[in-house]
Amino acid sequence: MSPQRKTWLPKLAVIAIFLLPILIINPKTYITLTISGLAMGMLLFLVSSGFSLIFGFLSVLNLAHGALFTWGAYIGFTAFTLINKWTGWGGPNSIFLNIVIFLLALIVAALLVAVLGIITERLVIRPVYGSHLFQIFITVGAMIVMEELIRIVWGPNDEVMPVPFNFMGSWDLFDVVVSKYPLIAIVIGFILYLIIFMILRKTKIGTIVRAGVENPEMVQVMGHNIYRYFTGVFAAGSALAAIGGGMWATFVKSIHPAMGGEIIVFALIVAIIGGLGSMTGSVVGALMVGLSYNYVAYLVPKAALGITMLLLVIILSIRPTGLFPEGT
Amino acid sequence: MEADLVAEPILKVEGVHTFIGKHHILQGVSFTVHPGKVTVLLGRNGAGKSTTLRTIIGLLSPSQGTIFLRNRAIHHLKPYEISRLGIGFVPEDRGIFNFLTVEENFRVAMLQEDGKTREMMETIFDIFPDLKKFWKTKAGNLSGGQKQMLAIARPLVNRNELLLIDEPSKGLAPIVIDHLIDSINKLKEYTVIILVEQNFYMASSLGDDFYLFDDGKTVHQGQMQELIQNEDLKKKYLGISG
Amino acid sequence: MMNPVQLFRLEEKEVRFRNPSFFLRILLLLFFVLTPFLFRSFEVLDVVLKIIIFAALVASYDVILGYTGIVSLGHVLYFGIGCYFVGIFMGKLGWTSYGHLVLSFLIAIVISGILSVLIGLFSLRIRAIFFAMVTLAFMEFTFILSSQWRSVTGGDDGISFKLPGILAIDFSFGKILGVEFSGRIISYYLILLLSLFLFLLMLRFVHSPVGRVLQSIRDNEQRSIALGYRTYLFQVIASSFASCVAAVTGGCFAIWVRYVSPDSSLSVSIMLDVLLMVIVGGMGTLYGGIFGAAFLMVTRAFLPKLQVLIASLLPGIPFAIRLSERWLFYFGLLFIIIVYFFPKGIVGTAQEILARRKRE
Repeated sequence: MSPQRKTWLPKLAVIAIFLLPILIINPKTYITLTISGLAMGMLLFLVSSGFSLIFGFLSVLNLAHGALFTWGAYIGFTAFTLINKWTGWGGPNSIFLNIVIFLLALIVAALLVAVLGIITERLVIRPVYGSHLFQIFITVGAMIVMEELIRIVWGPNDEVMPVPFNFMGSWDLFDVVVSKYPLIAIVIGFILYLIIFMILRKTKIGTIVRAGVENPEMVQVMGHNIYRYFTGVFAAGSALAAIGGGMWATFVKSIHPAMGGEIIVFALIVAIIGGLGSMTGSVVGALMVGLSYNYVAYLVPKAALGITMLLLVIILSIRPTGLFPEGT
Repeated sequence: MEADLVAEPILKVEGVHTFIGKHHILQGVSFTVHPGKVTVLLGRNGAGKSTTLRTIIGLLSPSQGTIFLRNRAIHHLKPYEISRLGIGFVPEDRGIFNFLTVEENFRVAMLQEDGKTREMMETIFDIFPDLKKFWKTKAGNLSGGQKQMLAIARPLVNRNELLLIDEPSKGLAPIVIDHLIDSINKLKEYTVIILVEQNFYMASSLGDDFYLFDDGKTVHQGQMQELIQNEDLKKKYLGISG
Repeated sequence: MMNPVQLFRLEEKEVRFRNPSFFLRILLLLFFVLTPFLFRSFEVLDVVLKIIIFAALVASYDVILGYTGIVSLGHVLYFGIGCYFVGIFMGKLGWTSYGHLVLSFLIAIVISGILSVLIGLFSLRIRAIFFAMVTLAFMEFTFILSSQWRSVTGGDDGISFKLPGILAIDFSFGKILGVEFSGRIISYYLILLLSLFLFLLMLRFVHSPVGRVLQSIRDNEQRSIALGYRTYLFQVIASSFASCVAAVTGGCFAIWVRYVSPDSSLSVSIMLDVLLMVIVGGMGTLYGGIFGAAFLMVTRAFLPKLQVLIASLLPGIPFAIRLSERWLFYFGLLFIIIVYFFPKGIVGTAQEILARRKRE
């Protein structure tokens, strides 16, 4: 398979989604929508990239991914509440402190969920390597257990997610209302994307991971303990899902135990559209879904979900394996 | 002075049986590989040659028998452990990473990145100048012959003692095969090669010792020179004449 | 003189009658038929009927999972379609006549068939794994659609409706052997009959030539392709057959509960239940559906009672109470354990033990 696939198609698709709505929506609303679309896209990227990478590298369908997302949100919630209680950094303080507490909460969530991911990979996933069928079964069981554990530890009700003081509200730029948090989410998401990109492209570990997505057997034969990499990638994917969870919760300002199940479908669609096992695909797919969802939600509210399905159908018809090949 | 000093063998395979699922593929494979010689494994399709290589490198586990790398038993080790002990593997499908550049392919292969490795890279560039030329190109964009060279050159970077090569001539044009034979000849001084080859021309040009496989067993061995003359053996186990 | 295939079929038929499990099946059927007479409690009747309906649904899922070897995560979509068409016709549109009831079933079947063919052709060509994800996405999408489309589906609240004639609750046929033959009981027997019919149909399907090709595809897809079979076409056929069956079971369910809503007919949790049931019962053994359904329904009905008991023993710490309340947690753990140790499920493991005994 030659890597020289037609790369103009996905680029064209993204540009089309970006530009077409300008014709219909007035510029100011367009900017607001674009920002929330990009923010949603970034968050979807965080969740789906973990899933896509795990599938690409380990060839494992991790249906418990949504539960990891939920755990990230809940741990972030608890971490934020606790740290804020001790330090008050989340309140009406300098925006710098707000950012610090926010990042701290996310980091705690990412680390703890990464550990949860390692445990899951060792106990639950390892025994079913090679059989997609049993992976589906066992990760479904794991998902149920993880969700129920949240209900046991935190209670089954919705909770309000606290938002750092300075993240709320919006700025007024040239008569355009720009919500603060989505912008912050975009920046953080973008930085994370850059970090992932740098790791994958420039470091040796990243190169080995990309090689492993193409041919895990060969990587083993070349002297690398692929099982350690499996665990590592699974942990990384879980951490990404956790960060996505924490940020998503702040976005919608609430958490509930079933939130993972809701997001997993979107994440799946994004991963399929972008191409399983492709980071670039996850970004592009996520942006497409995020943007199109927001534009359509404004224009024809009821059709917002439909547009996502439509995108899935169109892209799978033209390029059944997704926009980008594995390992890009 | 004896021309053939019996040096200590690099690899000793004894009585190896391997199952793939329920199929008893290897039913008693034994052979010895000596330094300074190219050992060729010959036989019809399905005779078990590739399976033997995969068993040596650890992708398959023998149900019976032993494999010794010098004095070390390796038949129960994992592939990455065996590889680190100094065995390189070039599979039938080449196993190159198409989406990575030539440089990145080597990077994955390198177990250390020190002066010695850099020296070896220079040697590799001497033998395979195309790889230097296409250093930053995605491996998938190389020609068939270049891909094969990359596949063979890659494990060399760790100065492996032993290199297993599985059917390198597959799918290559005759002139490319000639080029390949030249390159592999130059490799002889750096590593010991076990070659599985269906193409008798290539096998006979490169091989010193040979082992014939039939039905998962090693049935005959000897010097390549003898085999070239022996029409009966060639016809019986390889189905070729002349 | 008969040819080898005919001889084989004849041998099979003879064995079938001498097989002990044949009598077991008759016994089971008898049990279902006599349930209204054996148990006067409605609760028991409800549980048993749900076992029957879900046994058929799980068996239809087993056709694609266990016999064809492809994973769908959106099978309940067709169940939901069956539910909704009955609900919409009887409820929203008020077309309450027997003819309309039958029509709603037929339309549901046709739409399920067509939809599954489209989805199958679409996603089975690439990798079977896409099928799993695409089917999940479609089912979720339909779930959300039915929650939003209030005018047609009644939104989240769903549609309650009455059934015509002899199926209506207030209808009574009089007493037979001490049991009041109300609309409920008649519905029970109607559904039992339909489910039996579906089950026999599925048995016929998996043992037919098409069914055998499907099994060969499941076991060794490459070889089947090499033999010249367009494997994905067969998979699509199996999938659409299974969806049609699922649609009928959905209609039956709607008839029994006289209510349809997104949560009761299209939710992912029902899909999870089906997954649980097929694994516990055993894949590739249609009968596994019966045991899996029995396991789940009985546990569901009686576990809450067990919970109350346990909760009364534990101190009143919220955490401890919740620990005992969330039985689903233990279910999930049990599920994982079953997948590990009994991947063949109840029926599958039993078959394996029997086969081993036969060899000795």
